[in-house]
Amino acid sequence: MTLKQYFNLVDTMARLSLKAEARRFYFGFWWWVIEPLLYVAVFYTVFYQLLGNRSPDFLMFLIVGKFTFIWFSKTVNYAGNSLVSNAGLIGRMDMPKTLFPMAVILECSYRQTAVFALLVALLILDGHSPTAYWFWVVPLILVEALLIIVCGLLAAVLVCIKRDFALLINLGMLFLLFMSGVFWDLNSITDESTRSTLLFWNPVAFLLDSFRQVLLWQQVPNVRYLLGLLVLLIALLALITFGMGRYRHYLAQRVVTA
Amino acid sequence: MTLALTLSNIGMSFPLASAGDSQRHQALEGLNLEIARGERVGLVGRNGAGKSTLLRIMAGIYPPVSGTVWRARELSIALLSLGLGFKNELTGRENALLAAVLQGMSKSDARLRLSAIGDFTELGRFYDEPVKTYSSGMRSRLGFATGLLLDTDILLLDEILSVGDHGFRKKARDALTEKLTSERTVILVHHAERAIREVCTRAVWLERGSIKQDGPVEPVLDAYGNSS
Repeated sequence: MTLKQYFNLVDTMARLSLKAEARRFYFGFWWWVIEPLLYVAVFYTVFYQLLGNRSPDFLMFLIVGKFTFIWFSKTVNYAGNSLVSNAGLIGRMDMPKTLFPMAVILECSYRQTAVFALLVALLILDGHSPTAYWFWVVPLILVEALLIIVCGLLAAVLVCIKRDFALLINLGMLFLLFMSGVFWDLNSITDESTRSTLLFWNPVAFLLDSFRQVLLWQQVPNVRYLLGLLVLLIALLALITFGMGRYRHYLAQRVVTA
Repeated sequence: MTLALTLSNIGMSFPLASAGDSQRHQALEGLNLEIARGERVGLVGRNGAGKSTLLRIMAGIYPPVSGTVWRARELSIALLSLGLGFKNELTGRENALLAAVLQGMSKSDARLRLSAIGDFTELGRFYDEPVKTYSSGMRSRLGFATGLLLDTDILLLDEILSVGDHGFRKKARDALTEKLTSERTVILVHHAERAIREVCTRAVWLERGSIKQDGPVEPVLDAYGNSS
């Protein structure tokens, strides 16, 4: 399979899935933006109205955090099941096993473009005028996309080996939701070393904080860490795609016989 | 005789999920098979005899646990089976598009074939309905029509002629016969012996993962028929 055929296939699978999903629901494509907005509404009600969080600009703080987190969490969750849910096709054709998680990742990323567009609109409506700092969003999106691809491929392999990983990944996303500062500010951790450790070992927390830095606080993110993360993710991506290629028959056997 | 495919001392086993992967089911054992170019081989055997596993090993979906598979380097191979691989939320037309792209076509070439596939399936307005609303017969017809797109040197056909009603089965057999040129090698798994008699020149009877009998179609099918 040529690279062109590979991407043609990934794109076709992603677009067809999006169409099918839109057909299933009354509000169709609108769910792409309704769902993250509902999440924000729930979190806002709990943390602002009920628990009395009065941080300045809390709503936009929450929106930036939740909109970027949801891309990671939903995509990795879906990608985790992508191999086992395509057992019929995998048992019939010897094809690259990365194809299925990549199609899911692209599908979720198409959906995320609408979410990012909504984010920009909400920021402007709220009085956050675009600044030069906003250009930092491009490398941040690129690094988050790479992180999603690496985690999504890994999740697909793990679930293929043992279905139990699907439950653990779900739980892991809940853990990340609490540990990444989606609804609380990492800067509220007074101990500097704890805060640095959390940001260092949790790239999701780092990315969420960076998105807020460039969009809300006109600050430059930690470029050294961002570059380091980029290099690490490229290396991991090369490693995992090589592994999935080398062990593609083993993966097929796990999927077909499980 | 130029060989297309050689299987030597093939063994295949799968872990039993109920036994926590510690025990294995032996699907194939010590199987030897040589298939010449242009041969049309019918595989018969009871459920669980190892027919589908053998086809998957031939197709390179997964390797055997023991033994070797050799295939002439220049020959392409594809496995066609019905009812598998469809995405339930997609319509028949969308599934046909996906099947065509999966088989290496560009999206624009695939779109050109969609009407012809729809006509062949006789699905009518159901062609644009989600596959989850289809009966098993309708799914089979769609599976057959999309499978006909395959244009490989070695065709592995798993029960694909058990399609729809009598009229459609005849149409399917005719369409398949058109594809069976003298250079194309075919391995056909089928429960209906009549299909094997019509299409194949050789039959292989599989019993509990090993070859029980291999030879011309009539004697093998007679022996198989008498055994059940």
